[in-house]
Amino acid sequence: MRLTALDEVSERLGLKRGQGLAEARAMFPKIDVVDEDGAADQNLLEAIADWCDRYTPLVALDGREGLFLDITGCAHLFGGEDALLKDILGRLLQMGFDVKGAISSSPGLSWAACRFGRGGVIADQVTAEVLAPLPVNALRIDEATIAALYKLGLKRIGDLLPMPRAPLARRFGMHLLLRLDQALGHNEEAISPRRPVAALSAERKLPEPIQAEEHILQLTSQIAISLKSELEARGVGGRVFELVLFRVDGRVFRIAAGASQPLQDPKRISSLFSERLNAVHDDLDAGFGFELLRLNVLQHDVFRISQGDFTGNGDSEISLADFIDRVSARLGADCLQIAEPKQSHVPERAEVFVPAIASRIVREKTEEIFAFMPKSDRPLRLFRHPELVETFAATVPDGPPRRFRWRRIVHEVIRAEGPERISPEWWHDAEEAEERDYFRLESEAGRRFWIFRAGHYVAGETAPTWRVHGIFA
Amino acid sequence: MAEHATAQETLFALREQIARLEGKSLPALAAAEQADSAADPEGRKAKDNQPRLPFGITQMDTALEGGLPLDGITEIRSLLMGDAGATSGFALSLASYLKARQPNEAPILWIGDVVSTQEAGIPYSVGLKQFGLSSRDVLYASPRKLDDALWLAETAVASQALVAVILEIRGNPKHFGLTESRRLGLRAKAAGRPLFLLRHAGEEEASSASFRFLVEPAPAAHRHLPDGSMLGGSIGHPVFKLTLEKSRNPAPLSLLLEWNPHDRQFSLSRDAGEAFSFRNPPAHPGARLPASADRQDRAPALGAVMAFERAS
Repeated sequence: MRLTALDEVSERLGLKRGQGLAEARAMFPKIDVVDEDGAADQNLLEAIADWCDRYTPLVALDGREGLFLDITGCAHLFGGEDALLKDILGRLLQMGFDVKGAISSSPGLSWAACRFGRGGVIADQVTAEVLAPLPVNALRIDEATIAALYKLGLKRIGDLLPMPRAPLARRFGMHLLLRLDQALGHNEEAISPRRPVAALSAERKLPEPIQAEEHILQLTSQIAISLKSELEARGVGGRVFELVLFRVDGRVFRIAAGASQPLQDPKRISSLFSERLNAVHDDLDAGFGFELLRLNVLQHDVFRISQGDFTGNGDSEISLADFIDRVSARLGADCLQIAEPKQSHVPERAEVFVPAIASRIVREKTEEIFAFMPKSDRPLRLFRHPELVETFAATVPDGPPRRFRWRRIVHEVIRAEGPERISPEWWHDAEEAEERDYFRLESEAGRRFWIFRAGHYVAGETAPTWRVHGIFA
Repeated sequence: MAEHATAQETLFALREQIARLEGKSLPALAAAEQADSAADPEGRKAKDNQPRLPFGITQMDTALEGGLPLDGITEIRSLLMGDAGATSGFALSLASYLKARQPNEAPILWIGDVVSTQEAGIPYSVGLKQFGLSSRDVLYASPRKLDDALWLAETAVASQALVAVILEIRGNPKHFGLTESRRLGLRAKAAGRPLFLLRHAGEEEASSASFRFLVEPAPAAHRHLPDGSMLGGSIGHPVFKLTLEKSRNPAPLSLLLEWNPHDRQFSLSRDAGEAFSFRNPPAHPGARLPASADRQDRAPALGAVMAFERAS
């Protein structure tokens, strides 16, 4: 067992990372050792990254103990880079984290400056001066290269800077020069943010945290109002919205809500969230309140402005979309579905259920999709899985049964229509799939069933099975 | 004396309020309305305009006081889960009938019950199309809990975005009592939209539904041939045996109603008389299995006889 992380006190004692536990115990018998929990560390880092979303939408994880924040265009919102850094570090310190931070024009330089230098804000002009005294470890290169460089006496980055590039590349590979260029800012390096950047986003910072749901909704509609002009300018409406709630103690809640039609109207946007908040009511622990609310538009679509007529009929379309949105927000998108026809003559494949919120039929009012429409009658209710029935006295080879038992009740057949043969689809089904002969049967009680026989009566083989597939009105 | 008059007035106002809640017309209220109408003849017409859906069948419309109310709950009940075909058929035919008479694009909403769906299947869009409802006309909801279903029904009715809402429930759940039904009924009244309550295998129960039908399956009508005759032994338009269990009209009504999916029209079943004795079929029904519908006659069976007809 080895030491993987140290606190300030043990660092001051002279313990090192990677040191054997037995050795450390021998030196200092009283040290407190806790087993490493990688997953918990990762969760903590992600929670901090979530919290950092308040500064910029572009937050990337860096290994197990670092975060990259792309603050391009964000610093002025917090009073400049110095103030921003001070704010982040100060707040994290209040939460009990000992954090080092640096702001520079390249991720590599920031990385080096916080781990091996003094951190802080580094101006573009002094890049080389800051970098020169740092050890070569600050270049994010592998151990072997570091060891080789040390062997040659190239211990500081400053030693590498004046050297000719070609021999360095030949000896240590292109990676070293790439890292050097990245640190100097000659080579653009992209960070990979954890979340996609929202197309549009607006937020409200609160001097006094809020807890009540109605306050959250009220604020949401206010934020939506400020989004509206931007949506209108782009000619789009939001399809998926995300409300990000930053709690005072650093926890972040994200609540997403979808809409079946592009939305611009602040009232409808906030009503989406009123259903959503109802649904997530128990999971949303307001604690001491939320201090920052942000509304993101994650997906948008072209907004078709329609002019209402004087009859006032145009409202029904809006209210239907609104209804679908509210239900989907509260009970989930799968709760409300619509059956879209498919081209198949096999009964159970002739329709597919699609969430109404995503359905083309509802949204675009497309003309009727062409689908196979059988000439013979189809049942009103279809079973997902045809149920086995026991038949008696079926006319052999291709007649309907006289009597059948389904769910322990015997039904006498009074009238029958059929057979209608439905062959399997060879392009979907296996070769041994059986043909079905469907019959419409009416029992003596007046109930009507749709029953099929899978396969045929063949002398010398077991009798084919009968199943009930649906019921008629 | 003046005190007495005030008390009377208060009482009258309260009675009026109750009558209005229950949708009834008090004699005094009617008199007041008449007085109103004398002053303003056009106003009466607007007030009297309670939305109704006439069936076009005199017997039915008289019993329903002009037709099915379009601003309240109508309960459709079956005795057994096995009659689900007939009950859902009647509810969907009502929806289809209504949809045919309201030329707008709004769909109907089917709020399914999980267990009923397992027991009786899901409404099948191809079958519905043949029944008179195209696939875009029907939205399916499958809430997991009854509370969600009730919320859904309430929201759907209040949104006024749907032609009709069909709420399917099984039995008489405790959480759906008079209070909930009253709440739904008030919503429906305020929004002016119908709610069909489909109760499988349920008992009679006090509710705010203005009418309650008991639906039982009945033998289907025969298929029509082009020359106007009937094709014997065929299974044609569905027929429902309806019993009006709850209405303001004390006389019970029981009839056989035939639904014509093609014309989207109800009619009284032609062989209403004989069908009632159907449950006791004659001892020797003769040829019970008719020829197939789509050809002239069946060729004699070729294969070996597997089983003989029932002896008795």
